Amino acid sequence: MSKSKKWYSLDLGFNRKKESSGSCGCGKTSGGCQSHEKEMSDEAYLEAAVTASIGEEVKKDGFEQVFDVKMDRRTAFKKLTASLLIGAGAVSTSCSVVSGDDTKEKAQIDWEEQFKGNYKLMTDNEKSATVERLMRSYELRTGKNISMTSENAKEDVLFGYAFNISKCQGYMDCVNACIEENNQDRNSEMQYIRIHEMKDGKGLKFDESDDNYYHEVPAEGHFYMGTQCFHCDNPPCVEVCPVQATWREDDGLVVIDYDWCVGCRYCMAACPYDGRRFNWSKPEVPEKEINKNQHYLGNRMRKKGVMEKCTFCVQRSRKGQNPACVEACPTGARIFGNLLDPNSTIRWVLENKKVFRLKEDLGTEPKFWYFMD
Amino acid sequence: MNRKQYVYILVYTCLFALFACKQENGEYHNLNDKIESESKNYHGTSLSSETYIGDVKTIKITEGVHTFLIPERKSQIQSFECIECHTKPIDELKSNDAKKKAHWDISLAHADGEVMNCITCHNGEDMNNLNTLTGVNVDFNSSYKLCSQCHSSQFEDWKGGAHGKRIGGWAPPRASFTCVNCHNPHDPSFKSRWPSRYNTKESEESDGGVEH
Repeated sequence: MSKSKKWYSLDLGFNRKKESSGSCGCGKTSGGCQSHEKEMSDEAYLEAAVTASIGEEVKKDGFEQVFDVKMDRRTAFKKLTASLLIGAGAVSTSCSVVSGDDTKEKAQIDWEEQFKGNYKLMTDNEKSATVERLMRSYELRTGKNISMTSENAKEDVLFGYAFNISKCQGYMDCVNACIEENNQDRNSEMQYIRIHEMKDGKGLKFDESDDNYYHEVPAEGHFYMGTQCFHCDNPPCVEVCPVQATWREDDGLVVIDYDWCVGCRYCMAACPYDGRRFNWSKPEVPEKEINKNQHYLGNRMRKKGVMEKCTFCVQRSRKGQNPACVEACPTGARIFGNLLDPNSTIRWVLENKKVFRLKEDLGTEPKFWYFMD
Repeated sequence: MNRKQYVYILVYTCLFALFACKQENGEYHNLNDKIESESKNYHGTSLSSETYIGDVKTIKITEGVHTFLIPERKSQIQSFECIECHTKPIDELKSNDAKKKAHWDISLAHADGEVMNCITCHNGEDMNNLNTLTGVNVDFNSSYKLCSQCHSSQFEDWKGGAHGKRIGGWAPPRASFTCVNCHNPHDPSFKSRWPSRYNTKESEESDGGVEH
């Protein structure tokens, strides 16, 4: 096992591209890397913080994180079986004289994907490696190409959102755009955004609001309020995740590693805003409707039994674009921007309008504000 | 209590105070503190939304402290320039009943007839321009100046970015739709219509676990 990899590699003859052995993010193997010094101090700090809070578990990655932990017999057998099946598949294809190159490459990719680590702990090289594997795997399986990125959070960016409840007319164009952009399951009709139709003069009563309206909008004497993941700065969903498959990125986005999620739905229970969705069945999107511009943490295809939710369209927002819902809204009720830019429109809204957030007393610090004209 | 105990209490209080207020290393009491402190040395981002504005021709405007882009208007008006047809004074054009009425599709549903008519905004003497209430010419590209005469609070919100719609992306430069890109000036209110899809299947989704 080489030092740069955190899991055993299985060489079926497809490791054409050898990864550089240094684990440094800059890719240089000897000398001259200025980022080392800073990294060390950050690491030291992280280590101290982590040991104090969670203990050793979090530092383990890849192979170690799966096997080098205390677990009961049943879990151990389950994990072993899954891994053995993949191993057996790999061995059978590699020994087989009939199976083609594609099958072998597929097995190789499956092996690497099975033993890759948590995305949160990956170096940039590892991130782009897994993204490349996933793109290749998609190509091998469907014959079509997708473009997937692993873009990191940009410096000096903290995303925030504002929603004008006197402007929203309940047209639902945002929901349509969201489903198309984020490759949501068409069968279960999963939707990240909910639009609540509320009666004027009754306050914000979510239990009395109509979430399944279908009539001409706006209805007389009603107003409309959209909810989705609020990307809390102190997210309770992140706290409860037993496998750290969800976390808050530096630009404030709360994201999920779909390949690390075990589907326990603790986060769904912990979210006070109904922001999270679960894949009860295998998500299906007709091939021609798939949005091929994807991000590892965003709209790439999910599998059965994992959580997903709004990511403020990470695949768009990290490139400077607005999320799909903002772009689709015909009324301009949705405002998105960088909270750290003092000249941004979102900052003007926060400083000049009477804004509020939902359940502020919980201390979750949502980065999603509501306001009125 | 002897002196030793006092010293202990003092030391523990200091230690407590030290750990209770962990302000450094990116920990803040609340989100507002975080935004305030981290935006103090904001250097701008490398991102730009210029490419997302696409083919929309824009012009730069400055209103108060706000400078941003709005779509250019004149090239979007089908029959501009107006004086190509408006060669004679309106009274003469009006009186000729034999001719097919131009602008047949326009009926004014903006305030009521006592408050507004065509010449509240259009300059009857100079059809290529609009005019303010006091008769000052305004270019079609700056039509927002007419709207702001009455809709002053909306104008304030629009300048700041709370009213209206951004085009392109969130990253600078800011480009926003101007009034007439969303509101038909002759009939400015948003119309009621059917939602573009059925709303959430919330109840079914949360009961999903029961069936499976």
